[in-house]
Amino acid sequence: MSVREEIIAQAMNLPQMPAPVVRVMNYLSRPDADLNELAKLIEYDPGLTVNVLRMANSSFFGGGVQVSTVRDALFRLGTRRVVQLVIASGVAPNARSAVVGYGLEEGELLRQAIAVGVAAELLAAELDLRAPDHTFTSGLLCNIGKKVLGGFLEVDAGPILAMAAREHVPFEQAEREVLGIDHAELGAELLSRWSLPPSIVECVRWHLDPCSAPGSDQALDLVHVGFVLATMAGIGQGLDGLNYMVCQKSFERLNVTPLAMARTMEKLLEALAEIEEILSSV
Amino acid sequence: MLKRIVVGISDMKISARASEVLVTHSLGSCLGLAAWDAGARVGGLIHCLLPKATGPDVKNPNMYVNVGVPAMIRKMLSKGCTKEGLVFRAAGCARMLGIQNQFDTGSQNLAMLEALFAKNGVKLAAKDVGGSIPRTMYLCMDTGQVTITSQGKEWLL
Repeated sequence: MSVREEIIAQAMNLPQMPAPVVRVMNYLSRPDADLNELAKLIEYDPGLTVNVLRMANSSFFGGGVQVSTVRDALFRLGTRRVVQLVIASGVAPNARSAVVGYGLEEGELLRQAIAVGVAAELLAAELDLRAPDHTFTSGLLCNIGKKVLGGFLEVDAGPILAMAAREHVPFEQAEREVLGIDHAELGAELLSRWSLPPSIVECVRWHLDPCSAPGSDQALDLVHVGFVLATMAGIGQGLDGLNYMVCQKSFERLNVTPLAMARTMEKLLEALAEIEEILSSV
Repeated sequence: MLKRIVVGISDMKISARASEVLVTHSLGSCLGLAAWDAGARVGGLIHCLLPKATGPDVKNPNMYVNVGVPAMIRKMLSKGCTKEGLVFRAAGCARMLGIQNQFDTGSQNLAMLEALFAKNGVKLAAKDVGGSIPRTMYLCMDTGQVTITSQGKEWLL
């Protein structure tokens, strides 16, 4: 078995999404999905209920008059946010622990995940764009491959760091050369096995290199720039640091201005604190 | 055992306790600036995200080099430091690969600091900036020593 195959096999051992999450996701994929039915489904799960209410009352996701029932929360948030929240609830427990291989302390992987999703959405708002529905979730999931690859890097981060430094190549390229796979591809592989929508899987696959993506997707550009902003801000930094290539074309396609970028970074820190508090208790 | 006082992103701390060490983690393109006055034995550490405020309403001055750094210096002067006694060391201001100048916050943070210091006749005693490595910066209140750690290595600044 090659190192690449071994890594993919290990990725498949990661726990599946929790059952209530899978149930809600399956229901939401039905064309006749109804918010009243969805509310009942969520109310069976006390954890999801609490999270939905907290999210609906947060200023980033909802805001305004306090809601106290799942039904009211769903009508306020809409199905788009509910999908995001439900997936976030499934992923957060996996992303919370330390990832020693990447030098990420406890909570840092989750923090970076939230930061990329939040930055992508804040950037869209700053640029007067309506972020495609899968933007936040793709940002949130983009570094999930690190969770698995971290297990290998823990043993042998040296050659990857050395190659990146010696040959001035981006970190994920060094991962591919040493391990046969990078964390973006591995993350996409994992999410595909979890049956997440292809739009999310593709965003995660290409978030470090949008120009190589087979198709164009505004969410991918938003997630890439969101990743750049979170990385520059130093959020969730590990051994890999800032050693990633910026795709200028993504900036151009979105018409990002230096002012929009600075404003997004300003707002990111504030929003992050709120969302982090909600998701870290999931 | 020294007590660690953590300086977050867009945060600033000042200490006069020999038992403390000020530390800021995750310096990416952000600027970390340590100031130490050996006479007053007072130190300060700031972690600035951006070179300058994007609007007139500044909620958190520590977020910006152009307002945060002068605010830290003023506060240190009020704690008995002198302009002549303060020694400054900078770290961070890293950059991602292939980033264009107009989006290179790291270079802009450093340029803003250098312009601010040049205008006021202040010299930077040392700097460890640029590249694409993440940095953690420590200022030890016992000695005024500044240490950088990154990717498992440690060095004095």
